[in-house]
Amino acid sequence: MVKLILRDKEYEVKPGMTLLSALQKSEILPESVIATREGEMILEDEILKDGEVIKLIAVISGG
Amino acid sequence: MRQHKLALCKEHYLEWVPEQTDRFIKKYNMFTRDEKILVAVSGGKDSLGLWDILVRLGYQADGLYLGLGIDGGIDYSHESQRLTEKFANEHNLKLHIVDIEKEYRQSIPVLSQMTHRGHGKPCAVCGLTKRHEMNRIARDLGYDVLATGHNLDDEAAVLFGNTLSWSGEYLLRQGPVLPAGDGLARKVKPLCRFYEREMTAYCLVRGIEYIYEECPFAEGSQSIYYKELLNQLETTRPGAKLTFYLRFLEARKSGELFVEKDMEQAHLHPCPNCGQPTSAPDLCSFCRMIEKVNSVPAS
Repeated sequence: MVKLILRDKEYEVKPGMTLLSALQKSEILPESVIATREGEMILEDEILKDGEVIKLIAVISGG
Repeated sequence: MRQHKLALCKEHYLEWVPEQTDRFIKKYNMFTRDEKILVAVSGGKDSLGLWDILVRLGYQADGLYLGLGIDGGIDYSHESQRLTEKFANEHNLKLHIVDIEKEYRQSIPVLSQMTHRGHGKPCAVCGLTKRHEMNRIARDLGYDVLATGHNLDDEAAVLFGNTLSWSGEYLLRQGPVLPAGDGLARKVKPLCRFYEREMTAYCLVRGIEYIYEECPFAEGSQSIYYKELLNQLETTRPGAKLTFYLRFLEARKSGELFVEKDMEQAHLHPCPNCGQPTSAPDLCSFCRMIEKVNSVPAS
């Protein structure tokens, strides 16, 4: 499985899908995050592999 | 960056962002290299990113940090001040720090409680205080211009809210530059055409450490809700946020939005206490708030 981490929440998706599909499946708006793997940004068309941990950085701020 | 149909490597991205910023600074006549700029820095990605970009571009940019006294269980203000000071020290930049509690006897959350403004949340008092203090300090210290890190998502969310309520006066005032007036410093938003996502990416690639935690009072705020709605639109229609904002600026400039351009300026007068312009009949909103606070005996 692939783990997505956004703040204190974790999501799991099946490997083999793109980052964009993984975000959509997890009901996360792609526009609201930047995805990183081992500290490096990755793009929406990247295929996620089994065992990977993707850290999502929230971009929305304000009040 | 789907809205620009552009993909860049790290190196070129770090060149592209300052180049575009400089283009916007010139396009909207924000300031020149001869002018002194005061950058309002909160420790967040946008303001630290802006300060970094302006310095890289060779502008004379000093920082202003306002200590708001917000804890929220995460030591929010202390941590944001620490990161701002760290950035200033690492880049050898001049940073002015103003502690609101020291200046006005109370922190923002306490000011909010005492004045009953903002329906139980301190955001209204925070916004009012920040606008007042940023202007006061820019004016008192002789800066030519005050720069804030508002990005396109901030601007689009404000525009969306003001459009929903057809707040004509606010719509007429919104733009990349708010010109100087009697007692009002010129205010500029050099990042107004960058997506929030682009500024986050800039800080990540550039290695700028910023406060990631959200202000504890921002949760559930209207502006964040509007941003989420606009991001839903952006996901299905890339470029929608940019088009929304840019077409608004064009419409405002061409005069097709509203007729009376100087409506707001017409009835502004200096506050008898602080001298800043206000449309209130006597003291400005900020001074009224402080007067109210000072009338309460210290516990």
